[in-house]
Amino acid sequence: MKDVMASIRYRRNIGKMLAPLFSLIPAVSVGILFCMILAPFMDVTPLELIGTIWKGAWGSRDAAATSITKATPLLLTGLAVGMAYHAGLLNIGCEGQLTLGALAAASVAVAAPQLPPILLVPLTVLTGALAGGLWALLPVLLRQYRGVHEVVSTLLMNYVAIYFADYLVLGPLGDGSAMGRTPAIPAGAVWPPLWSFGASGVSAAPLVALALSLLAALWLSGTLWGYEVTAVGAGTAAARAAGIPVERWRRRIFVLSGALAGLAGALEVMTVHHRFYRAFSPGYGFDGITVAFLVGNAPGWLWLSALLPASLRAADKLLQLELNISPSIVLVLQAVLLLSATCQARLISWLKQLISSIFTRKADIEQHPRTN
Amino acid sequence: METWLNLISLTLGKATPLLLAGFGGLISELSGVINFALEGMMLMGAFAAVWVTYATGSPWLGLLGGMAGGMSIGLLHGVTTLKLRANWIVSSIALNLLAAGLTGMLLNQVFQVYGMSPSVQGLPSFGKVISAISGSLGVGEGQEHFARGMSVLTLLAPVLGLLFVGFFKGSTWGLHIRACGENPLGASAAGLSVFRIRFFSVLASGALAGMGGAYLSIGELSQFVENMSHGRGYLAIAALILGRWRPAGVLCAALFFGLSEALSEWMAVRWSYLPHQVFLAFPYLICFVVLMTHMGGRQPPSSLGRL
Repeated sequence: MKDVMASIRYRRNIGKMLAPLFSLIPAVSVGILFCMILAPFMDVTPLELIGTIWKGAWGSRDAAATSITKATPLLLTGLAVGMAYHAGLLNIGCEGQLTLGALAAASVAVAAPQLPPILLVPLTVLTGALAGGLWALLPVLLRQYRGVHEVVSTLLMNYVAIYFADYLVLGPLGDGSAMGRTPAIPAGAVWPPLWSFGASGVSAAPLVALALSLLAALWLSGTLWGYEVTAVGAGTAAARAAGIPVERWRRRIFVLSGALAGLAGALEVMTVHHRFYRAFSPGYGFDGITVAFLVGNAPGWLWLSALLPASLRAADKLLQLELNISPSIVLVLQAVLLLSATCQARLISWLKQLISSIFTRKADIEQHPRTN
Repeated sequence: METWLNLISLTLGKATPLLLAGFGGLISELSGVINFALEGMMLMGAFAAVWVTYATGSPWLGLLGGMAGGMSIGLLHGVTTLKLRANWIVSSIALNLLAAGLTGMLLNQVFQVYGMSPSVQGLPSFGKVISAISGSLGVGEGQEHFARGMSVLTLLAPVLGLLFVGFFKGSTWGLHIRACGENPLGASAAGLSVFRIRFFSVLASGALAGMGGAYLSIGELSQFVENMSHGRGYLAIAALILGRWRPAGVLCAALFFGLSEALSEWMAVRWSYLPHQVFLAFPYLICFVVLMTHMGGRQPPSSLGRL
């Protein structure tokens, strides 16, 4: 009996662990279905469209390297959104936090080229994270002390951050050209590729992002603090009644969320672009929302959902070259994924109702034959 | 005198899309539907306006097309949030993404170009109307120049604002919409279909924001440029917040934002060494101050975002 109970409990845990996949799979199916519907309008066959996306993202080692490199900032911003959502807060300000994190990281690296790499690299990374975290501190304080909803304040602060960065990079922090960019960071702050083949390579940044997301998953599910954060997100009233310091946790988690977005910016500077320039983020902050919501904000599975938009982004050039399809299709597909991910709870319950209504009616007739 | 008139006409021009989209946001939020999808509605409207104008040759039909384009995004927002109970914000962001992607894709499909569409005939400017009658009225050269830079939509927007004030203050429909935003349970107990009213409001919101987008593409310019709304939908939300969910407030906020955008352009041309980004960031900063200090007194509709 005991063994049976244990196995049931074990099985339920497995189910819980895999639950995020059940929200990812319907979204991806809807995405593929959408591709199949869309393809005839673009004068290609569905197989060509999906095949080209696959080839562009994972068809060669170069392509795979691009996909993984592009997944790194998405994983981090996804983690930022997901962590904040675990504490019941929606952070849509990753765009601004990432921008300022990248700018701060690039500027510090440029300002201190004489430092040895062993000091310079952590300094740059931490500055980026700090800038992002500080930028996220104001919205959460406003929420707690002035009742301003964090969605509104983070949204507004995105634009303040972008214009502020614009000003700094065209003025005091720029390289003097009219391009609006900082000087290149010193070689000591650049993360060299761990594996390189030909023109492309993969640095250690994806590993760092992966490790952080897995750590966050373990922390949330396996520690007392993580449990407290989850309780805050599940319901503030109950958490407060249980003596959990709700406000303090929310402050900490939101600043952490901003720091993660800032870190994404810093890593992007140190591994890919080696400098900061205007309009730095091609929407990584908003993509983070897609990444987080695709797997129901479960940090342990973010790596999988981050690969989706990243693969799409990596494939956009090939789509244009081979099929003459505008790279914008990538945004459409991503929007479809996000829409189906947010709507799927209701859609699935409808489907379940439909199916169960079909089956129960049959079963009813079989089990309870008419007596009169 | 000439420069001041220029600045005023620039301000009005910059305020028009914000005003139209801001009213769109207003009608949706007063009915209780959080609408951050204004950006997508504007973009879709801008594209649809150019497409229809290109196909039919009439910018007025294009304007209608723009409204329909905005409504298509409104329809999706209504279905996902009201019917499928998606998170308001997430649905909005997905729709903004969808509009950005779809317009880029259609641009390539319809016109076989990337980046910007071929130019089409724009809406007539207010100046054309003036110069047509200026002979009989004796309007001065200066005024005529002032009016030439303004689209007819610029004139329409304040009129629409006045209509809105009347609509929400005086009409039963306006009252019904506000009832859905303040107390949906009460409204439904009074026999209103909250779902239907909210759905209508989101559609109307799409039409207005789509008109704002059409102003960008066939009013201000005469072509579609990829991602041409450029954050104006979000700025319209800021105008809504700054205007404290009042029609007159939104009008003032939009004019103020228009002025600060115009000043920024003005400054960038005249004194390029000064940080003109200050003026671009100014609307958001002012919005912050208002939010922080609870100025203006009125709060958002009390059931905003509650089903």
